[in-house]
Amino acid sequence: MEQSQEIQVGDQIIVQRQGYTKLHKLKKHGNMVIGKFTVQMDNIIGQKYFDTFQMKNYSQNNKLYILEKVEDGKNVGNAVNIETSGMDNRNIVSDESAQTLTKDDIDELQNSELNSNAIVEKLINNSKTFNMKTEYSQEKYIKKKEKKYFEYLQIRKPTIRLLTNMFYRQDPTKTLGIRIDDLSQILTYANIHSDGNHLLYDSGSSGLMSAAVMNAIGANTSGTLIHMHPGNECQKNAFLAMQFPEEQTHRCINVNLYSVLRCFYQNKNSFVDNICNDTEDKSEGEPEPKKAKLDGEPTQLTPKEPQWKLDNESACKILNNKCDSLIVTAKEHPVNIVKELLQFLQGGRQMVVFSVTKEPLQDLFIYLKGRLDIIAIKLSNNFLRNYQVLPERTHPEMMMNTGGFILSAVKLNS
Amino acid sequence: MSFDGYKEVINEGDTVILYLTISQVYNVKAEGKTLNKKGQQVENIFQTPYGALKCAELIGKTYGTKIQLSKGWGYILQPTPELWTITLPHRTQIIYTPDISMIILQLEIKPGSIVIESGTGSGSLSHALIRAIKPQGHLYTFDFHELRTKTAGQEFQDHGLANYVTVTHRDVCCNGFGEDLNEKADAVFLDLPHPWLAVPHAVKALKSIGGRLCSFSPCIEQVQKTCCELKNFGFQEIQTLEVLQTQYNVQIRQFPTLDVEFLKYPKTEEVEKKDREVQKCLTAIPPAQQPGHTGYLTFASLYPIWARTVNKNEVDSD
Ligand SMILES: C[S@@+](CC[C@H](N)C(=O)[O-])C[C@H]1O[C@@H](n2cnc3c(N)ncnc32)[C@H](O)[C@@H]1O
Repeated sequence: MEQSQEIQVGDQIIVQRQGYTKLHKLKKHGNMVIGKFTVQMDNIIGQKYFDTFQMKNYSQNNKLYILEKVEDGKNVGNAVNIETSGMDNRNIVSDESAQTLTKDDIDELQNSELNSNAIVEKLINNSKTFNMKTEYSQEKYIKKKEKKYFEYLQIRKPTIRLLTNMFYRQDPTKTLGIRIDDLSQILTYANIHSDGNHLLYDSGSSGLMSAAVMNAIGANTSGTLIHMHPGNECQKNAFLAMQFPEEQTHRCINVNLYSVLRCFYQNKNSFVDNICNDTEDKSEGEPEPKKAKLDGEPTQLTPKEPQWKLDNESACKILNNKCDSLIVTAKEHPVNIVKELLQFLQGGRQMVVFSVTKEPLQDLFIYLKGRLDIIAIKLSNNFLRNYQVLPERTHPEMMMNTGGFILSAVKLNS
Repeated sequence: MSFDGYKEVINEGDTVILYLTISQVYNVKAEGKTLNKKGQQVENIFQTPYGALKCAELIGKTYGTKIQLSKGWGYILQPTPELWTITLPHRTQIIYTPDISMIILQLEIKPGSIVIESGTGSGSLSHALIRAIKPQGHLYTFDFHELRTKTAGQEFQDHGLANYVTVTHRDVCCNGFGEDLNEKADAVFLDLPHPWLAVPHAVKALKSIGGRLCSFSPCIEQVQKTCCELKNFGFQEIQTLEVLQTQYNVQIRQFPTLDVEFLKYPKTEEVEKKDREVQKCLTAIPPAQQPGHTGYLTFASLYPIWARTVNKNEVDSD
């Protein structure tokens, strides 16, 4: 079951540079913009995941870089030596003259073949005040300089962990503000695993939710996911990045919320067995979502039944027999949507709703409390703290962020 | 036998969660008879604040329904690892769901993964690990306390999970995880007093294409030693964090309002004393007191052989 470790054309890759990561679909003769650089990616094709590459200036073109595999990746990343730190920063005057290298000198350094550790080292040696800075500001200084000059890249295969952190760092609103601890708890409280039929309504996590649920359902298992979304096309950046095998991809049924509910209420004979299938499909009017194949090519199946319709029908078949979990990660206020979708949740099963703000979940809490078929309603959030662990210098990290809120509950059999 | 797959109806021998209120949740066994402290067979009766439950009555009932007790009622639920964690018999300190969730996501565990865990303890984490690796994966869990391994093994058997887990009685710090597991594991989890002693064994057990490691420690000194050792053995992406969960009680509260308007006008006889006005407000109230620390979670990656910074032979010859 091990997937190939070779980097191939068509792969979705995560390019890691310092602490920064970026998702990229590898094409033949493709370029990728990394920070200020445009990088020609061909040289990584056929190499292995986790390999490290160095960005090298491409002949005369100042902007274009190519990648060269670092054969002895072992020494890369060994941080520069830091001299002992001062007690505090009382002697530091913040002025540019503290750096004895001029901007031209630095450009010169960058153009010469020096590697970035050497550049950073040189900058440090030429900074009169470096040794007077406190340990914290020394590290900040090094980080700042490294970020600018570090030209090593590592190629990684996307995982849910890497994707979640990447999206959150780039822009938390692109994934509804779902932090890694939030995601981890949504999955456990909803009891997502290889078994069962799961139901997700997601309106804006860039495909992270459907990807994470399918990842937990796994390859070559029996579980399925009905992924309801409000748009014409579901968001699927993260889902595509995971490159699930076809068999697994097919167990995620993407349906438009309105269109699948219309099918459920008004077109029962299309999915309920034992009903004569003689009435014509009456759904018209509203633009129905266009279902496109994953690579963007239009589907060429049986001419009369478009894929989205077949998907609606298979989703309705499952909904009719009820689902084993319900997850809602929505931009909209959750009460209406939960009210509607709860009918599809089997009794004795878990539901989880996420929101980046507390108030909509308070409303939902009160609504659910008023129902007789919901118990174990819990509203929670997390405090997540990262630590720097170094000899004699262990402390919580300077920056922290706030996650969202999670409501979980259990539905009873009526 | 009620942990493997979704069920509708309670069978004899099932472990059943009895839910009374948010803070009164228990596990019971759907069995007519049980052994008392003297080892004699007696009727299996579970005492609750709302009266006694004859456990034999559970058999044949549907999960997710109400059950009548002599002085009230409760709800019977199919166990999940989360419900098990809050009801299980404690034989050791256990790990709770917020940490467990983080561990599973960060260790990148999914169906099919081969996972090593030590120590087994009370099996709180193990149940969640098994759910995550099912059906093709496997959990190898180790504890140097023999009775704990036996009890845990019996529990997995009772819960219908025995096929997914192997429980071994062993001191993993001294003796590692065994030759059979060399280069077999996708992830290693350590909840030990001296986790750093198990790091070299973890390196041997992780697959040659690499894997993830997590160590859970309550004390920062343990974390420092472990991080140091992880670095020595070439682990990358070493990260230490803690997660704390706060649960809120949502209530509509009534706040009395203050009226000072009347002070602006001279006193007159006619002004009636108005009823005290109240304003309703939806509030989410955190508990007055809650755990402020569980443990530090340290995560790290062992890169594939071709990208490792320390090669294994160098380490072995030390
Ligand atoms: C805190 S408990 C683990 C609890 C467990 N994670 C849970 O959630 O239930 C720690 C366990 O590690 C075991 N242990 C300690 N040192 C060990 C060693 N060197 N080898 C194997 N097991 C060990 C102890 O016997 C104890 O049961």
